[in-house]
Amino acid sequence: MTAAAMDSRPRVPFYRRPVAARILMPIAVIVVWYLVYWTLGSRIFEPPHRVFEFMWNELTLETRLRNGKGPSNLYQMFGLTVVRLFAGFAIAMVVGTVIGLAMGLSKSVNAFFHDWVMAVLAMPALVWALFLGLVFGPQGNQAPIYACILAGIPFVIINVREGVRNTPKELFDMARAFGVPQNKITRNVLLPSLMPFLFAAVRYAFSVGWKGLVIAEVFASDSGMGWAIKFWYDAHQTRGVIGYALFFVAFALALEKLLFEPLAEKAFKWRPRVGDVGVVEEQFLLDQTVEGALEVEQFTGGESDG
Amino acid sequence: MAEIKVKNLHKEFGVGDDRVVALENVNLDIEGHVFVSIVGPSGCGKSTLLNILSGIETASSGTVDITQDSHDANPGYVFQAARLLPWRSVMENLMFVQKERDDEARARCQRYLDMVQLGDKGDKFPGELSGGMQQRVGIARAFSIEPDVLFMDEPFSHLDAITARSLRRELHEMWKQTKKTVLFVTHDVGEAVELSNRILVFAKGGKLEDDITVDLPFPRDPSDDAVAVAKAQVLRKFEELDLLAT
Repeated sequence: MTAAAMDSRPRVPFYRRPVAARILMPIAVIVVWYLVYWTLGSRIFEPPHRVFEFMWNELTLETRLRNGKGPSNLYQMFGLTVVRLFAGFAIAMVVGTVIGLAMGLSKSVNAFFHDWVMAVLAMPALVWALFLGLVFGPQGNQAPIYACILAGIPFVIINVREGVRNTPKELFDMARAFGVPQNKITRNVLLPSLMPFLFAAVRYAFSVGWKGLVIAEVFASDSGMGWAIKFWYDAHQTRGVIGYALFFVAFALALEKLLFEPLAEKAFKWRPRVGDVGVVEEQFLLDQTVEGALEVEQFTGGESDG
Repeated sequence: MAEIKVKNLHKEFGVGDDRVVALENVNLDIEGHVFVSIVGPSGCGKSTLLNILSGIETASSGTVDITQDSHDANPGYVFQAARLLPWRSVMENLMFVQKERDDEARARCQRYLDMVQLGDKGDKFPGELSGGMQQRVGIARAFSIEPDVLFMDEPFSHLDAITARSLRRELHEMWKQTKKTVLFVTHDVGEAVELSNRILVFAKGGKLEDDITVDLPFPRDPSDDAVAVAKAQVLRKFEELDLLAT
């Protein structure tokens, strides 16, 4: 549909638009939260305003997690975790893309890696965290970074492999019939056709790698957001656990809104938008019926409990 | 003046029990400003012939020789589906097949977009166009490299009857103006009679069975008696060769 055709539709009242439903959701969550708090009457289960107060104190550095050496406030913890996340994510993307390309291009390479990729995929992040904690000890960045890589890399491999398998042969034939040189074909046919799969790989590697990283920080690190959550857990302070989890969620949402969505918008502006769904590349994946990606969905659901 | 010479062309797919002969010792000589249609039942090697001529596939044996006026020219190709790059604008799709990315090439692309009546759609993406418009872009792309030889593989078979008819007329006009050698694959005998000087009839197993000259003045209206008679003659030939049953 063209932009002009969309503009000519009658205006829908605000309360019936999806944006209204989006605003309603957090309000509903807070209302339910208060209801549960009043019903339970528990000292451990704290109400929203206490959690927000805690978060404000953390943001304004009113409190500190520990005295003496080492990172002690929200910003330091957060900074550490983000650096680890980007390091692990970058390594997972590079190594995963290379292996995925090789698996997509060669049946032998695919046969060599396939079972191992599935095995890494099936392993709960918790097991990686415990294992890496034993190997590297609680100091330093190694255990969290490796956990992030191991959690994220199978998703990169599978998505890139499916991307290579789904390259449009008929467009390559067209380019060859017109005598287009190979480097021009790579830039105009191969890379754009891989883009939706690379985008899916980036999103999965980020969201799943992030979970692996935090679990490793809980069990196998003496710093970072995961460690801070563990700290408040040991102190029996629900506000700390929930507060840090919410910082976490806010960061993930900000990344999605400020980085991934604008990038996807730019990269996929050639695709007609489907309703109000912003994530165009995922629609593209569904169109292409990528079994691998569907498998991945299920595994993500299973692993988030780990 | 372009010339296409095909000698003892043979093409097989698979090995052993799976072996399929797609083209069997095909000999052809096509020269000058002619419109040649290739007709025959499904699986008679029509598209394979075009793919070998255009270099998408290689022959099992035999030779293909295409002589064009300009030595580095590439033949144009219009496919059954438009085969446009969905992530590039209409203009960029035409520019993709140009040897140079200069103003001259851009002006040429614009001229052929105008010719297929899509002069104002250059900055649209293919997904924003109808099937008929996309096929028009495919035709403009093939003409925009100004080839001496043009291959077309059932370019109108996916379109509705009315769109196909108007595109056939446009194609005929463009062929008349640009004096190209066109090789046109179709399974529609009526379409072949309407457009061509020559009709090559292929049978299953990739054998060239007949080479019919259609000597009628252009433009040809399908409802004209002479055109209907010519179509009936070709269909009779099909019957003689037992091609209708397959």
